[in-house]
Amino acid sequence: MPKALSALPQPAAAVIDDPREFAAFTRLLPEAANGDRLAESSLCLGGLHCASCAMVIETALREVPGVVDASVNAAARLARVRWDAARTRPSALVQAVERAGYTAVPDTLAEARAQRASERRTMLWRLFVAAFCSMQIMMMATPSYVSAPGELAPDLAQLLAWGAWLVTLPVLLFSAAPFFRGAWSALARGRVGMDVPVALGIAVAFVASTGAAFDPGGRFGAAVYFDSLAMFVTFLLAGRALEMRARHRAAARLEAGAARLPDGVQRRTADGAFETVSPRRLAPGDVVRVPLGQAFAADGLLIEGRTAADEALLSGESRPVPKVAGDALVAGSVNLGGPVLMRVERVGADTRYEAIVALLREAMAQRPALSRIADRVAAPFLVGVLLLAGVAAAVWSVVDPARAVWVAVAMLVVTCPCALSLAVPAALLSAAGALARAGVLLRRVDALEALARVDHVFVDKTGTLTEPRLSCRPVAADDAGWLREVAASLAAWSAHPLARAFGPAVAPIEWRAVGERVGAGIEGRDADGRVWRLGAADWAGAGGPGPGEAAVWLGRDGTRLAAFESAEQARPDSVAALRALALDGLRLTLLSGDRAEAARRVGAALGIDDCQGGLRPEDKLAAIRAAQARGERVAMVGDGVNDAPVLAQADVAFALADGAAVARAQADVVLLGNSLQGVVAARAMARRTLRVIRQNIAWALLYNLVSVPLAFAGLLPPWAAGLGMATSSLLVVLNSLRLAR
Amino acid sequence: MDILYLLIPLSAVLVLGVIGLFAWALNAGQFDDIEQEGQRVLDADELSS
Repeated sequence: MPKALSALPQPAAAVIDDPREFAAFTRLLPEAANGDRLAESSLCLGGLHCASCAMVIETALREVPGVVDASVNAAARLARVRWDAARTRPSALVQAVERAGYTAVPDTLAEARAQRASERRTMLWRLFVAAFCSMQIMMMATPSYVSAPGELAPDLAQLLAWGAWLVTLPVLLFSAAPFFRGAWSALARGRVGMDVPVALGIAVAFVASTGAAFDPGGRFGAAVYFDSLAMFVTFLLAGRALEMRARHRAAARLEAGAARLPDGVQRRTADGAFETVSPRRLAPGDVVRVPLGQAFAADGLLIEGRTAADEALLSGESRPVPKVAGDALVAGSVNLGGPVLMRVERVGADTRYEAIVALLREAMAQRPALSRIADRVAAPFLVGVLLLAGVAAAVWSVVDPARAVWVAVAMLVVTCPCALSLAVPAALLSAAGALARAGVLLRRVDALEALARVDHVFVDKTGTLTEPRLSCRPVAADDAGWLREVAASLAAWSAHPLARAFGPAVAPIEWRAVGERVGAGIEGRDADGRVWRLGAADWAGAGGPGPGEAAVWLGRDGTRLAAFESAEQARPDSVAALRALALDGLRLTLLSGDRAEAARRVGAALGIDDCQGGLRPEDKLAAIRAAQARGERVAMVGDGVNDAPVLAQADVAFALADGAAVARAQADVVLLGNSLQGVVAARAMARRTLRVIRQNIAWALLYNLVSVPLAFAGLLPPWAAGLGMATSSLLVVLNSLRLAR
Repeated sequence: MDILYLLIPLSAVLVLGVIGLFAWALNAGQFDDIEQEGQRVLDADELSS
């Protein structure tokens, strides 16, 4: 089971069965002959450890009444189930798998995965055609290589040349099509891309060989080079296939970890209570409650509360946009300021979010931005190569016209801008894939380069290093249980890690006019009109005994009523991870919004000397800015809502996977394992990646410096040129794949 | 060696034919899940007709 998927929470049965929700992993098939309405669902399976587990699951699924067919792919751990929409539901399928002893999660990434699978299939098919045809062409070319002059009858030689021409056609028209397409689209944009010299070389070689095959006494001489042509197409495609594999693996992991629309939203029902429904169930006119840190599930109007929204998906900027009652809210943007009520205006495909997702999907299907940058870098180099090839052809047409064409082809083919432009992207993508397997998701792949140069790491205390556990201590002789219920009910409006430690709220208390102040606490008005506050000691109110050790206070109408002590526990692996970071030469600092004493205590337990407590979000931001002003490269590890602007300021930002969605949106790296060991692994990988990048670039430069003069001097036959170019780019890709180990 | 006048064009056409055959197999989903179909033979409950 991919680690990324097992870290995601299981959606509730009510959400899976919602017909509007399961469009993500189910498609309705056209009506069958007997009038049945069948649906086909895709499920991700977990717990498989051998091929026969697949049979067990298949049998279990087939036994569910209403299931027409089930097939399990053990290698991919996917189940495809065909079921009758009138007789069963997806949750029944999931339960059947769970009864058999395995886990199943709806495969919401099925569409993207299918797209990648078809891309992979086409590439492999092209590679097979090229390789197979190369073999056959080689066979046809062997007699002219091994025969002594005069042994091979000229008409047989010509027949062999024609046969080779015929078998080259599939290679040229089908396998080499990506190169021609790439060259055409680059030229149409007025730019010289990596594919241009390759396409030019292949075209010139084919035309010249065709001339030689059908008109041996003509301009192109009698030597045919179909075998070289097919061979270098094969080698080039092999390099492209490896690059595509690395890219797909990275994309698959990144997709699985990306935060999208929330799984469940709280919609107000007719009697004023709130129910959790799937975002796809929303209709215009619904009123939903959006807690702090959650993304808005639809386009709508803010009707109660005040907040700020992160509209980075629209503007590209993460600066919070203030919103008051009457302002428009955008689906997919994140609620930063406080819990609010929203009236839904537009849902589903009408929202701007869906339009952006469609654009993103399109962008991911193209070659990643890194490759485009690499193309830009290679452009002047490529223009130089084209000019040089033209010069070589001109020179040789004077010296020895029969060889002019072949020298030009050799020059076009042997220079490997691919190595130069593949050097950085191949390494970065390979590293991203390796880290993703270890549970560290890179949202910004070039964060690796920044990470290798980091010298100061700031770590947030709450949630990152510790796991909060809260116990209630009432001030007066009040009922501790009831006070805890009230606090839990109010805490449900907040996504702060301490609030989440209260657990699910069971008391049906209706809160009005809820507001949350970052760094202080949350307040709400209950049915009797009394104002309750939950948070820091001075926020909750005056009176009662002194603050003491308690982390969270509950107060009513300005009087403190109960204290909740957080028995914080350091996460077990934090100590080892922090020691490893310190040994690596990094400076460590603990930042905390909690009291200085608690910060110092935790810091001592973990071995961090520099601990600062009692910080508000602005203070944390100032601390990072000060470090950056000193010339240090800063990395920040955070979790809670307080960290979002701080994470944006750091050079490299880490966030834990179950932190508020806000922090995840800002972070460059998401730690799925919820452990600081991910930071250690990421830094080690970043160092290795930089080393590999330097090796790649050095090799690319050396190769070109040696091979171009050789080709110019006419010492390089076209087959050697093809071999050299392909080997060079394969070497770069293989060197980068070392990072995946 | 006159047979070569037949064999050389024949082998070229054969190559194209083999490629076509593989294309059909790939598109018909023959290579989708190699291990599972082999395991299916061992499944005692299913009776193949």
